Amino acid sequence: MSELLSKVAEILNAPESLVQRSAEARAEASGKSVDEVLQSWAGGESVAAVEKTVEEPAPVEEEAPVEEEAPVEELATTDESSIDIQKDDDEEIVQLLIEEELVEAKKESSFALLMGVIGVVVFTYLFAFSIPKQQSEDLVLESLNNSVRVSEEILEGATIYNQLNCQSCHTQNVRVLIPDSQNGKVLKNRFANKNLILNTGLLRLAPDLSTLASREPTNDGVWLKKYLTDPTSVKEEIPHPSINFLNEQDLDYLITYLLSLGSTNE
Amino acid sequence: MKIKIFPKNEQEFSKFFIVLIPFLFLLFGGISLAKESYFLFVNILPQNNVFNYGFLDKLNNHITYSLLLSFLIVFLTSYLLPKTLGRRLVIFPIFFLTSLGVIGLESLDLLLGFLFPNNFYSFGNTSYTMIFKVLIFFAFVGLLSINILAKKEASMFISAQYLFGAAIFYGLSLIVYRGNFAVFSDNFFINSIYVSTHIYVGYSFVFLALLHFMTTKGINGTLYSKTLGSISFWGYLFLLPWTNFKFYFGSVLPNWIENISLYLSLSLALPLLAVTVNFFKTVTTRTEENKIIYGLISFSFGVFVVTNLFQIVSSLSNIIPILSLTNFEIAIRYGYVFSSILISIAFIYYLIPKIFGREVKFTRLESLTVLIIKIVVAGTLFSNALIGIISGYSWNAGANAGNPTIYGEGFGLLWSLISTPLSVNLFLSLLLLLPFFLFFISVMKALVNGEITEAETVELTEEELPV
Repeated sequence: MSELLSKVAEILNAPESLVQRSAEARAEASGKSVDEVLQSWAGGESVAAVEKTVEEPAPVEEEAPVEEEAPVEELATTDESSIDIQKDDDEEIVQLLIEEELVEAKKESSFALLMGVIGVVVFTYLFAFSIPKQQSEDLVLESLNNSVRVSEEILEGATIYNQLNCQSCHTQNVRVLIPDSQNGKVLKNRFANKNLILNTGLLRLAPDLSTLASREPTNDGVWLKKYLTDPTSVKEEIPHPSINFLNEQDLDYLITYLLSLGSTNE
Repeated sequence: MKIKIFPKNEQEFSKFFIVLIPFLFLLFGGISLAKESYFLFVNILPQNNVFNYGFLDKLNNHITYSLLLSFLIVFLTSYLLPKTLGRRLVIFPIFFLTSLGVIGLESLDLLLGFLFPNNFYSFGNTSYTMIFKVLIFFAFVGLLSINILAKKEASMFISAQYLFGAAIFYGLSLIVYRGNFAVFSDNFFINSIYVSTHIYVGYSFVFLALLHFMTTKGINGTLYSKTLGSISFWGYLFLLPWTNFKFYFGSVLPNWIENISLYLSLSLALPLLAVTVNFFKTVTTRTEENKIIYGLISFSFGVFVVTNLFQIVSSLSNIIPILSLTNFEIAIRYGYVFSSILISIAFIYYLIPKIFGREVKFTRLESLTVLIIKIVVAGTLFSNALIGIISGYSWNAGANAGNPTIYGEGFGLLWSLISTPLSVNLFLSLLLLLPFFLFFISVMKALVNGEITEAETVELTEEELPV
């Protein structure tokens, strides 16, 4: 039988297991043996599909028409009409195989998939964003012991700093120096404004500015103005853009903000 | 070449993207070059509100991470979703208008950026365009859901799953983008979750959707295992959104979330293994032997694997101090973006005959395009990873020496070390323009002069929604 099965599988270009299952299904439906079904498929002759006739009492001669039991050898000499029948039968078998595959694949539920994905999204939003964010805010609120007042000029300067995207290269307190301090060292009042919070560097390519106002010569407003409008006047090779397109007032705000950057861990 | 302004079906809509995406690649390449130039030659280039590194960096971020991604998601949805569901898109006119809304609002942001450069691309954005973006994107996700529920195919093709995942996480990232800043750690929370949901999930899912389509339909392979496909899908869906917190290790974030991020990043090895086995087993069954398309698919997969390895390596606790919060993370972002770009090129080559009925002749032009882009991608990943390691090491050495800031002499030392790879970056971004330009020429040549071939005919059902 296995040889026959292989032959049929080759003819139909389908996996053996699938062909066998289909043959068994057809055999059961037609009341024939599996071998007979396979032989008929191998020879191109179909076994009558009698699913409907099984339910309805039918005359004996209709259940197994003599014409359909043609031997394989006879196929070689059959006329064109029998070749057509053979093609139809092949198509029918292939259709049966395809249908069987589809029946197997029907287990997947798109509703379950959507619910699963939405579940992961909600889980992520709650546990990776909303809850820990709230937790951090609560910790900071509990540790408000060193409030710093920020003037309007400093906030204006911080906004300009942010708009110029200075934080793309510069850092400010990227890493807490005392690891255990966690959120307790960060003060709500000091960083309550979005523009101040955003002034945190990511690339760490340019110098850290968190202690800018406590160092020479950057603690000098006149020096800063000269440097920002024409960096090459300070050092020829310095890779810093010249901020000469800002108006006088905005430049002053920016410098006021920079001079407010004192010690780390504020 | 005929493109209708108001397409009647998904296939006509896809034509629009085949023409437009090469333009977007050129725009991406051009802005990258301008950004790198303004970083390195800042003293000799004119400065104003638009032409300065700060603005160009924001512009580059917007084009790379928002504009290009939104176009790719809409493009893939309009072409792949009907294929994978076995039916025409439900209420296509509404889908078309929603898609236009998604890509239109991202384009509008770009335009407004030039008009109001100071308010461009900043987190915590509460502008009206941002609110509209959230609303329209959720309408888009809703349409995707309706289509998936109304599928005609018995099984769910993996590409559709990835597309849905990419779209829904894109929507989530837009909500996060508008997050409220109250305390310092909020900045890190919003940055982390935005980068991981928008860039990591968004781009990697676009890539994986295309990978599963191209390895099966593109090169006529048979998917090795649906189970492995599901493992990789659920694995990446669950793990990737958590992977960016590790770059803030030791910062003001709660310790538990930093640690979870480390472990979940290490766990990326599991879906990576599943997708790797599936890929290699699937491509061995391929019957289509197009070297250009197969080369692009396999190279993009290589880039994706390397990017995942970067993620895994950067979550090893001994290496964390050197790699966290440096350009190393930029290398990871580029990895996801470039893997999607590479496979999109293969996808467009595959689609031109299918949709436009024009044959693509793979000549020296196409071979050269692919060769150069491979060199640029490999070089960019290596260069950015190297800059990340150097800057992280310098910072760490400075902190151990008692000075946590890279300042004065310290910065001079760092600059001398990284200026060479930064110059390489500039050269690579200049070189990147060449393959994008050649790709653009190649697509236009095929569309205008390509030999006429049989286009794909859509044979999808158009039945009413099941009640």
